[in-house]
Amino acid sequence: MTQPAIFTEGLSKTYGTLRAVDRVNLEVAPGSVFGLLGPNGAGKTTLIKLLTALVPPTEGRAVVAGHDVLREPYAVKAEIGWVAAEVILDDELTAWENLWLQAKLHRLSGWEPRARELLGYFGLADRARSRVSEFSTGMRKKLEIALALLHQPRVIFMDEPTIGLDPGTRRMLWDLIRGIHREFGVTVLLTSHYIEEADALCDQLAIIDHGRIVATGTPAELRSRVSSDLIEVETRDPVDPETLRSLPGVIRVEGTGQSLSLRVTRSEEVLPALLPALGPQKVRRIHVERPSLETVFLDLTGHRIDGDEGGKVDFRKFYATIRRSRQ
Amino acid sequence: MMDQFWGLFLREIKRTYRNPLVLVMTVVQPFMWLAFFGSSFANAPPSFLEGYFHTNNYIAFLLPGVLSTSMLTVGMFSSMSTIQDKRFGYMKRILLTPTPKSTVFLSKAFGATTRGLVQIPVMAVAAMAFGVALPTSPGLWAIWVTGLFCLGLGFCSLFMTLTVTSTDWQTPGVISNFVTMPLMFASTALFPSASFPAWMQDFSRINPVTYSATLGRAILLGDPPWTDLGYLVIFALAMVVLGAWVSSRWLKIE
Repeated sequence: MTQPAIFTEGLSKTYGTLRAVDRVNLEVAPGSVFGLLGPNGAGKTTLIKLLTALVPPTEGRAVVAGHDVLREPYAVKAEIGWVAAEVILDDELTAWENLWLQAKLHRLSGWEPRARELLGYFGLADRARSRVSEFSTGMRKKLEIALALLHQPRVIFMDEPTIGLDPGTRRMLWDLIRGIHREFGVTVLLTSHYIEEADALCDQLAIIDHGRIVATGTPAELRSRVSSDLIEVETRDPVDPETLRSLPGVIRVEGTGQSLSLRVTRSEEVLPALLPALGPQKVRRIHVERPSLETVFLDLTGHRIDGDEGGKVDFRKFYATIRRSRQ
Repeated sequence: MMDQFWGLFLREIKRTYRNPLVLVMTVVQPFMWLAFFGSSFANAPPSFLEGYFHTNNYIAFLLPGVLSTSMLTVGMFSSMSTIQDKRFGYMKRILLTPTPKSTVFLSKAFGATTRGLVQIPVMAVAAMAFGVALPTSPGLWAIWVTGLFCLGLGFCSLFMTLTVTSTDWQTPGVISNFVTMPLMFASTALFPSASFPAWMQDFSRINPVTYSATLGRAILLGDPPWTDLGYLVIFALAMVVLGAWVSSRWLKIE
């Protein structure tokens, strides 16, 4: 039995009265890509801070790359790499100087060949002497991943690795994460609030909401937990949910008035009966969804993962601030 | 620890010298003091200058004082650099490596102090242009620079201690106004303390700026008082120990 790359037991973090991380038990197998999926404010970032030994846990324990985060924080930090959501590099320095500083901070010797190899791998070899302020977002992201790999860490943490990126760059990054995982054999723990990202990249997933892990498994396992289809209906006038509950194939009806959501066995069989029951003139909008991680999430937490638009706006503002202050 | 300190220290230096505006700012301010404030006694009767300042050239009196006050103001830069790293998230990048927080503190304090030292040669040349005779002995220069370095290091450490939990761009400026003004005026940097009221004389007697200004003036006359240098070394050491302890406890990524 190999030692897990990350192991936590009853891990909790409380800020005042807020329990940001609540009794989390995790086990991440070495060499896997593990995804923490949850909406903004679910506790993903706090959990990463605990696992990277940046803040001490209030309760419970965490062992990362064989070291306890509370007792041996420096040993943990020596074994982990980190890729920030917002791309954190020193813009005044060149790409090579950023690597040099990272090597100094990790007290590496003989790091230069590996640095050159990484720059080559990420296609940045000819830009080693350029200042990072001249780099595009994609190049910055690549350099940041090169920094994270420089000291040959056992675990890499990626906090929202593709947030705020355009679809092309996001695709490129997905390929890159798959690639480095394959080439460098490193365990990757990433957080995301993009369902399709977690689905595309991760071997194992944990769904986190309000600081608690509500489900874990492979993406396929999680999807299979929900076999029913979801039908969301908006009507012009209020509808009594009782009249719909008796329809064949309807498992449950939630909501009241003009906005209802139904769990049904097979939507193609239920819909023909559902429309007459509602009265076709009354229906304003109807939305059918097959089982997906999105509906799993909805099922487990009672809300959609991107329901909180406020969080997204915040990030856009955050990027704007960064851009302004760089000028 | 040496590796990490050296890396972060060189980063501070590189960042400073790649930003010409910062350098210009660092040098112009004390030069303005020397040129404008220093010239305010240009037409004073020599007997007054001799009696009050013990020199016939006020700029010769002012040079050690202005160098001292400018080392006092560079303290603000260590705080600003730290707050910038917190706001850009770079502090997180540093603290996610096995780098102790006290090492981050030391690199900021030494980095900002070194940045302040660039003023010395520029000011020395400017003072010579105003007719001030400077010492030629390298030993005297070494003592003078050591004194200024200790003064700067002490104040950089003090600023870092006062702003350790801050993430606000404005805090260093506000604190600077509270710290710089009284320390500058209640010292012998600009005027001798002979005509100060008693309470200001008492304050001036423990003010490190006074010791640095006195040391510089004695060196211009060719006679360094070792006790003044000792006072500055102890001030720097005490502040560095305090800052390292406070930083290791309270320095956060944001």
